[in-house]
Amino acid sequence: MSDPALLSLTEVAAQIRERRLSSVEVTQALLARIGHWQPKLNAFVRIEADEALARAKEADAELARSGPKGVLHGVPLAHKDMYYFAGLPAGCGSKIREGWIASQTSSVISHLQDAGAIRIGALHMVEFAMGPTGHNAYLGPARNPWNTARISGGSSSGPAAAVAARLTYGALGSDTGGSIRIPANFCGVTGLKASYGRVSRANVMPLSFTLDTVGPLCRSAEDCALIAELIFGEDPLDPVTAGAPAWNKAATRRPVSSLKIGIPKRFYVDDLEPDVAAALDDTIAVLRRLGAKIVAVDLPDPKPIDAAAYVVLSVEATSFHAPWLRTRPQDYTPPIRARLESGVAFSGVEYLEALRWRGPALAAHLEAIGDVDIIVAPAARAVAPKIADTDPSGANANAIKEMSGFLRPMNYLGVPALVVPVAHSAEGLPIGLQLVGRPFGDETLIALGRAFQQVSDEHLRVPQLA
Amino acid sequence: MSERVTAERVKAFAAAARVPIEDDAAARAARALDPTVRRMDELALQLPLETEPASFVAIARKGR
Repeated sequence: MSDPALLSLTEVAAQIRERRLSSVEVTQALLARIGHWQPKLNAFVRIEADEALARAKEADAELARSGPKGVLHGVPLAHKDMYYFAGLPAGCGSKIREGWIASQTSSVISHLQDAGAIRIGALHMVEFAMGPTGHNAYLGPARNPWNTARISGGSSSGPAAAVAARLTYGALGSDTGGSIRIPANFCGVTGLKASYGRVSRANVMPLSFTLDTVGPLCRSAEDCALIAELIFGEDPLDPVTAGAPAWNKAATRRPVSSLKIGIPKRFYVDDLEPDVAAALDDTIAVLRRLGAKIVAVDLPDPKPIDAAAYVVLSVEATSFHAPWLRTRPQDYTPPIRARLESGVAFSGVEYLEALRWRGPALAAHLEAIGDVDIIVAPAARAVAPKIADTDPSGANANAIKEMSGFLRPMNYLGVPALVVPVAHSAEGLPIGLQLVGRPFGDETLIALGRAFQQVSDEHLRVPQLA
Repeated sequence: MSERVTAERVKAFAAAARVPIEDDAAARAARALDPTVRRMDELALQLPLETEPASFVAIARKGR
């Protein structure tokens, strides 16, 4: 029998429900794979082997007794270590929260548990989700499964590395300035940054309440849709979801021939590495063959949007951390402490100007795209850089900041975005593209991502352990 | 061109927030933030008087 760890989330969930595989078999397969890969990747912060096997055994017994609890019955999953499980630790990649035990469970985790998912451990992240590279001076860096000398990307470093190496069938990450999309892009997995306000952040570690979104990293758009269907929608515990539309499964089947796709004329396509530029051109050709109408669009300059997002993120993050900055500043690693300290330096007027500009910036974006359904653009100018070249403790500030340059504007605009792997570079590293939707148009992104992945095998490629 | 964000400003704001900050950290923060604040100065000039943060929600819903 082939390795169950290599199945997709959709496949393994169906096989468990249909009793072709047991939850115990699947959990054992993942644990065996984690045992081989973890020393190379540092993707997990906790591996709960005994507990996961006990949960799997219980799931198998429950299935035999009363049938599946839900679509994810007995499926082992691991998430970024900032999702709270009542009674369990959530270290948030930090010394400050080491050993902290959550008293509540994240709403989105409750939805996955209600559907039958079980926990196999917790995944690496950048300290307090503040950084795009995957470095963590406290935990050590997570590494890219395609080349362990390269960064995984961050801040959802563990989720991307673990999904790429087939150590979990899917994982929840968070995206405040690109933190799902950067690592999804660098590790060659599919990652969904949801529209702002469509998924509850209740009892998930906050970074910036104006920009925070949570969403899945999976092996395919199909798998992302399976999780999205469970976690999207209104939650009284997170007020920004008031009036949020529930997941519309039918809209994920929208035919590509009905879609108008915009390609940026400038900014997002400037100064691309040749491999990335070729991947964009090749993908546009595929989408055209699938029947999409392709048009050029002149998007507003992302730099002012990025600046406003930076102000909002910095001030809000610092407001969350101010009590610890006053009492335990030495317990932050130096790069994170420096970032948080800088957040005090914006005035109240500057912060509110940055917030007030959000509406006009979105209006300008919508005017530029007209009736375009989806923008297709690179997620980064180049493939994953080397860990040694991007250490935030060194003088790499501009290179690091640039990693979010194509992505953070989408958080400020509140629009959904899906990163899909589309190619590999000459040196064997994944290249992804970012599909950017209209506000609340998450399902349309899945429709396009799924259609692309029906004619591409990039998302099926599996890194080999050196 | 005069600086918008100086180390002195960073230290004063940090003191007001009761967040301790070393001199070199304040100088580094000032250098890092100055370009952002300059850009925000330009954006502020384009902001209509009547715009408030919640306008974003209305525009997002209309832009579906």
